[in-house]
Amino acid sequence: METKIILCGLGGQGVVFLTRLLAKTAIANGLPVMVSETHGMSQRGGSVISHLKISGNQAPLIPHGTADILIALETDEAVRNLPYLRSGGTAFVNAKNGLRSEVAGEVSRLALDIHCVPASQLAIELGAAAVANVVLAGFAAAHPKMPLSFETLQETLKNISKRGLELNLIALETGYHAKKEQETKV
Amino acid sequence: MSTDILLGNEAIGLGLVEQECRVVTGYPGTPSSEILAGVIKYQKKFNRQIYTEWSTNEKVALEVALAATWVGLRAAVTMKQVGLNVAADPLFSAAYTGVKGGFLIIAADDPGPYSSQTEQDSRLMALTAKVPVFDPATPEEARVMVGHALALSEKYGQPVMLRPTTRLCHALQSMDLNGDFPENPIPKIKFKRDPARWTSTPKFRYYLHRELNQKLLDIEQEFAVSPLNFVVNADSPHKIGIIASGVAYNTALQALEHLGLSLPVLKIGTPYPLPRSLVREFLAGKDAVIVIEEPDACIEMQIPAETTLHGRGDGTVPGAGELTPEVVFTSLKGVLSEAGIQTPPSPADEALGALIQKLPLPVRRPRLCPGCGHRSAFFAMKRTFGPGAIYPGDIGCYTLGTNLRAVDTLVDMGASVSMAHGFYHANRIVGDKRPVIATIGDSTFLHSGIVPLINAVHTGARFVLVILDNHTTAMTGFQPTAANELLADGSDATYRVSLPEMARACGVGFVVETDPYEQESFSQILTGAYKYCQADDGGVAVVIANRPCTLYDPTPLQEYPIPVLITEECDGCRFCVEAFECPALVLASDRRRVDIDYNICVECGQCIDACYKGFIIPKY
Repeated sequence: METKIILCGLGGQGVVFLTRLLAKTAIANGLPVMVSETHGMSQRGGSVISHLKISGNQAPLIPHGTADILIALETDEAVRNLPYLRSGGTAFVNAKNGLRSEVAGEVSRLALDIHCVPASQLAIELGAAAVANVVLAGFAAAHPKMPLSFETLQETLKNISKRGLELNLIALETGYHAKKEQETKV
Repeated sequence: MSTDILLGNEAIGLGLVEQECRVVTGYPGTPSSEILAGVIKYQKKFNRQIYTEWSTNEKVALEVALAATWVGLRAAVTMKQVGLNVAADPLFSAAYTGVKGGFLIIAADDPGPYSSQTEQDSRLMALTAKVPVFDPATPEEARVMVGHALALSEKYGQPVMLRPTTRLCHALQSMDLNGDFPENPIPKIKFKRDPARWTSTPKFRYYLHRELNQKLLDIEQEFAVSPLNFVVNADSPHKIGIIASGVAYNTALQALEHLGLSLPVLKIGTPYPLPRSLVREFLAGKDAVIVIEEPDACIEMQIPAETTLHGRGDGTVPGAGELTPEVVFTSLKGVLSEAGIQTPPSPADEALGALIQKLPLPVRRPRLCPGCGHRSAFFAMKRTFGPGAIYPGDIGCYTLGTNLRAVDTLVDMGASVSMAHGFYHANRIVGDKRPVIATIGDSTFLHSGIVPLINAVHTGARFVLVILDNHTTAMTGFQPTAANELLADGSDATYRVSLPEMARACGVGFVVETDPYEQESFSQILTGAYKYCQADDGGVAVVIANRPCTLYDPTPLQEYPIPVLITEECDGCRFCVEAFECPALVLASDRRRVDIDYNICVECGQCIDACYKGFIIPKY
């Protein structure tokens, strides 16, 4: 089944690494992918966005109103890119306190399913702010809407992490458990 | 056979290795930069004999590769679209002389634009130069087209172009990789004299031009039956058709999915010379046809106006900007509704879009990285000369000096030097006595800065040129320059150009190399440089700000970290945030003080000078 995922954040937060982690995991599962990445000037601290189509068509960009999943490393970038989600779409956001209140009405009208986790804070507790992206990947993997499982992401990390594999694996697990904990609380 | 995901540029690089290109050259430029890296990656993987180089500029790169094709080897050259302007001279000439070995010129366009000064269409440049063009829609197709293009080039003895765009270059697509494939032995060939071709005078150029025109007609016939040009939904009953090429072809198909229509689509893989018979056949019986292509109207302009044609010409497709899914959807919908065909609304939710538009979301303009030596240099320049100077700038990361108001002009590679020169002479005429302080990066200086510097010194111009030497081509991904110790493939360079010696050799009488991190002394040197400009026997002064890019070489920072803190007295005046603009200096949410974002601070200590009140201090 086709899954369209938008990944976003700021330059330097590791959006490209996160995108490749998911894309590599998809092909390891035998699923074809098409991705569009941001390179160049905008990587210098600007808004960064990736479009990831798993088992989808070959157009590089996902139209507004059609993405199944939004994965955001920063809250304002999450809000900026909300229009990509289809109604009933799911978002995984690196945020302590949820999205800004102005969008609450639209979120409920469009039945958007927003899941927040303080990924940066958890990453800093692990000793490296840079792994917030992997924490968020683990968090998303614990949700049934995510087509890539925690275990297959683990396998990909083992294949692509040049350094800091151990930390990346812990980060993935931390995110995964954060989601599971949220669920038990509910 | 294995499956991997390849960046569009890597897929092109793999195609060049698979097709046995023996010489691949280029000059980095977004979105083309990773093609040569892809060649080197697969050359090493499959252990192939291929010569690669990052040349000093695109003109040099094209000529180096051209010579290889005259020997009879297959060769390719990579660049971005504006690089093709730099290489235009040999491009036009080579179209007349032709080639022996297959020659692929890869020029990557940047609709948007995202990282360029123009949205120009390299296909139109090729059309003007009379060079056939291949226009791939996906990374996989680009890899396959490399083979088609080189075969055509060899068959007709003509250079050909492969024209990807940003969205293809930076797309990742899963594809099957060949295992190790056999390598053909290097053919027994050598360069043979042919004065009527390789050294042809204007009279012979006339014959070559006639020959070229005939070849283009033959190539057009060949393109008319090429599998790279085909119709989808050919048996559709609809009388409205689409002609599309490049990435926009798939965007058009995607829009049709959402419109729930299966209009006939003519996919053009070879936009020049346009296979007109094929197009005529497609147009026959259609009420209207819309052309979807980027970034300009290359196909559309070649279509005889027999049918109602929609596109850039009649404004159906906007004349500027990227063909996003939304733009293509709207353009198609417009044509359909004009024809009275009912279509569903766009999948985009208008109310949500409008709300987000109105929210005060932060504008994320790109900024120099924490610890960037360019920032220190710009800050010292502003402190020395203030707003009362003219600051010509150039192409690279340091274009972002405009955020620090230390870049006033931006034209093209190397223009900072010639514009500074021009300002000097024009200012003399109008009586403007402001100092002219130009900046240029190391790679850009070597690319196009030396020639204008010779010109400026020779004609008596007076300005300060700051060469921002960060030891690499940083913006495009750290490609080495002629001043580096390494070559493109990581092997040792034979000779490293010395920037100070180069400036002296151009005749510059004041050349000082210094570390911009020493802001106080850097500022004094700038003052001295300007004094030299004003002296009776003075002229152009060159100051080389030598500090490696912190991403490329963080060792100097790691060896001497200077962690800082902001004292309680900070009054949130924002001077440091605006004038120094380090991403690690952030205004607190109550806006009453500035905090340091220690997650991204690299402990360069440079911001200590950025608070004139002394509230930013070393931690220990």
